Amino acid sequence: MWWTSPIIALATLVAWVMTSDNYFAHVATSWVIFGITALSLDLVWGRGGVLSLGQTALFGLGGYSGGVVAINFADTTGNTLIWALPTGAIAGAAAAGIVGWLMFYARMGPLQQTILTYTCTLLLWTLMVSFTATYGDAVVGGQNGLSGIPGYVVGFGDSASKVDSRTMFLISIAIAAILLLGVQRLMRTPFGTIIDCIRLDSLKTALLGYDTRRFELTLFVVAGAMAGLAGSMFTLWANFINPSVFRVQDALLIPIYVLVGGIGTLLGGFVGAVAVGWLTFWLGSGAGGDQSTIWLGASLILLVRFNRAGIYGFGYNAWQWLKRRGTTDTSSTATAVVQVDFDLLHRLRSGNRDTGDISLSTRDASVSFGGVKPVDAITKTFVPGRVRCVIGPNGAGKSSYLKVCAGTYKADSGEVTVDGIEVTRASPHRRVAAGLGIKNQRAQVFAELDVRTNLWVAAYARHRNSARARATAEAMIEMLGMADRASRPAGDLSHGEQQWLDIGMVLCLAPDVILLDEPAAGMTTEERMQLAQLVRTLSRSAAVVVVDHDMTFIHSLDPEITVLHQGAVFAEGDIDDIRGNERVLDIYLGRRENVLD
Amino acid sequence: MEVDYLIVVLLGSLTAAAALLIATVGLAVVFGLMGVINLAHGEFVMFGAYTTLTVTRAGVPFVVAVLAGAALTAVFGAIVEILIVKPMYGRLLDTMLATWGLSLILLQVAVLRFGTVTPGVGLPQWSLGIGEFQVSTYLVLMIPVAILIVWAVYMLFTRTSYGVMARASIQDREMASAIGIETSRLNTITFALGSGLAGMAGGILVPAIPATPTMGFAFVIKAFLVVVAAGPATLSGTAATGGILSSASNITANFWSTAFGDLMFFAVTITILRFFPFGISDKWRIRL
Repeated sequence: MWWTSPIIALATLVAWVMTSDNYFAHVATSWVIFGITALSLDLVWGRGGVLSLGQTALFGLGGYSGGVVAINFADTTGNTLIWALPTGAIAGAAAAGIVGWLMFYARMGPLQQTILTYTCTLLLWTLMVSFTATYGDAVVGGQNGLSGIPGYVVGFGDSASKVDSRTMFLISIAIAAILLLGVQRLMRTPFGTIIDCIRLDSLKTALLGYDTRRFELTLFVVAGAMAGLAGSMFTLWANFINPSVFRVQDALLIPIYVLVGGIGTLLGGFVGAVAVGWLTFWLGSGAGGDQSTIWLGASLILLVRFNRAGIYGFGYNAWQWLKRRGTTDTSSTATAVVQVDFDLLHRLRSGNRDTGDISLSTRDASVSFGGVKPVDAITKTFVPGRVRCVIGPNGAGKSSYLKVCAGTYKADSGEVTVDGIEVTRASPHRRVAAGLGIKNQRAQVFAELDVRTNLWVAAYARHRNSARARATAEAMIEMLGMADRASRPAGDLSHGEQQWLDIGMVLCLAPDVILLDEPAAGMTTEERMQLAQLVRTLSRSAAVVVVDHDMTFIHSLDPEITVLHQGAVFAEGDIDDIRGNERVLDIYLGRRENVLD
Repeated sequence: MEVDYLIVVLLGSLTAAAALLIATVGLAVVFGLMGVINLAHGEFVMFGAYTTLTVTRAGVPFVVAVLAGAALTAVFGAIVEILIVKPMYGRLLDTMLATWGLSLILLQVAVLRFGTVTPGVGLPQWSLGIGEFQVSTYLVLMIPVAILIVWAVYMLFTRTSYGVMARASIQDREMASAIGIETSRLNTITFALGSGLAGMAGGILVPAIPATPTMGFAFVIKAFLVVVAAGPATLSGTAATGGILSSASNITANFWSTAFGDLMFFAVTITILRFFPFGISDKWRIRL
């Protein structure tokens, strides 16, 4: 079961600590606290893909605010935990909300995200070192920090008392257990699967209709709350806190914990913090001689270079290998046989709201990069009926045009509408919600997730209901003929199969407008025929636009053709018109004056 | 008096910007051409500073000592590139963490070797009088020195075959390999160049700020922010961003306090990243 390894790990730690002396329990409590911080980083880094160097800053904020509240309110109830812990969590969550909003809503790259969190840590360090303030009974004093914070006090009123080291350890480990299991549970919900998808391919997730920024922000806030909570536990444990928690050296310690334990495993970060904590303790109470920093640095280099799986990851992989050794791989390697299931397609579409206007249209849509104008004032409307093929020589702007329609590129000028709804400035996920579905030139599948999950994620985007999504995914697996490989990672599929899977994911959305960029690439002749049949069927009820180079395939679609050249519509007509058009031949063959038009 | 004060403040801002630019150029070159953030850059600066210091003590003229520091740091950088950076090419965040590990090692080695306090090279005692204010000539000289360094790097990238090949390989790595450019060796050279510039920065800065194991770290934190906020245009972007951030922070520091100056620096960085998520120069046509 998913909860076995966390329970075993925590139980081992409890047994170990409870059989040792009080001082050991005191020290071990700090490992647990850093373990929670590492867990919060693994959540955003290992699962969310954002290397945050701001987790210690959130930890520090939680610590300071938890400390201030504990000092001021401990007298009223005696109990400190009920004040400090929620305050720390809220402070961490609120700060993470602000930083996350900056990061995700500005659509920064991963490096910029990391540097932004680093800047926030520096900002807080400067702020905390330089300024002093008084809140009620609490004095936050620059370098001196905040002292006189009561410890772990449980009970209320007269029965309130400060707990001993062992009880403090047990309370901390109980909190850690709740968080560890809670986080593991969370990552097994649809939310967790979507987070994994965003890490693997953020754009594809958005093109399935998910507002990726909202998911990323939520994850960051959850992790921020955990870091803040850990900080408030730390202040109660240490009875003081000072600006050193905001030091960059400390900010970079947390990634070490995660790497030691195993990135992306959730339990790993916790294991890493305990392992490193114990090692430093064992080597000699933190100081570890003059060389300790050197060892720390060297181990970081070696870990990053050679063992990204970490302790927990290593053990897990070994276990998986042992389990798999007994069973031989019996699944067939025959290529999938696709059986287009019209009934399924019809059923999927039946849930669509009746807009009465199924169409995609662009008016004077243009986009330019520097001096190049890949899309130059294209005005076109696509409606159900006949398939529309867009062709043109390399660099004619075909893919760019589809990207302008899907919102991957934003049009610099002009207008884009889907089903009559203006979406010129809208993000991709809004266009998908309006009824658009796109398969990009490169087959986009979530390589690490299995085929079933890939389809489930697409279906869930439409149904927002796990059970219904599962039913749709199963039906689509059947249609794609992938029943025997549904549990395999999508990355193991052949190129042609990945194309089908990507198409299957688009179909799960039951879009009104379907854009297919080179869907037939990598497919066998037989598969191309099935695809052509599928596309023709789809075009009866949806506006279908296909970009392809293969004239045989295009011919089998019986389409209307639009030829693009240098970002603009060059010629239109059915296949015979285009074949007889000398000017089109000119641009394809690069001869005569039309090349320079 | 008022005018004099303003001139001094302005000169102070320019000096600070120049010093920041000197410390940043090497980092910017490595980031711009290799896409690698070298978190040990600060320790490379420190390495150059201590080399310069040691060589000067041996009686070598200061300017020669600075060049020696630059050369030695460049060699060290080349070794680091081959051993640590090259195997992790394309894994940006991993490279950052590994070079951070390196920075920890270098820092601790310096503490063990030199202790935490070292007497520096005395700042040349010449000064400029502006009204009733005195300004150190050496600090003011940093302004032309910074311009000279940027100019030299610009020339290197536009007028030498190395520079042209290096720029070609960032435009299109595969194409560059296809026409026979050995990108792997170029990267080693680029990293060595960036390290050499860091070492030189250390030498140039050592009369102005005391040589301590943490000098590079303290100084270069801002350099990281400048480089990332600048974006892809290595020289022009870095110079512009460094100017903006440094002036904003210096002016604030002059009117309130150093802490406010630092806060301003960080706040402006955050603001820049908010509105230019890939750096100020992301959409510029100039790529150098």
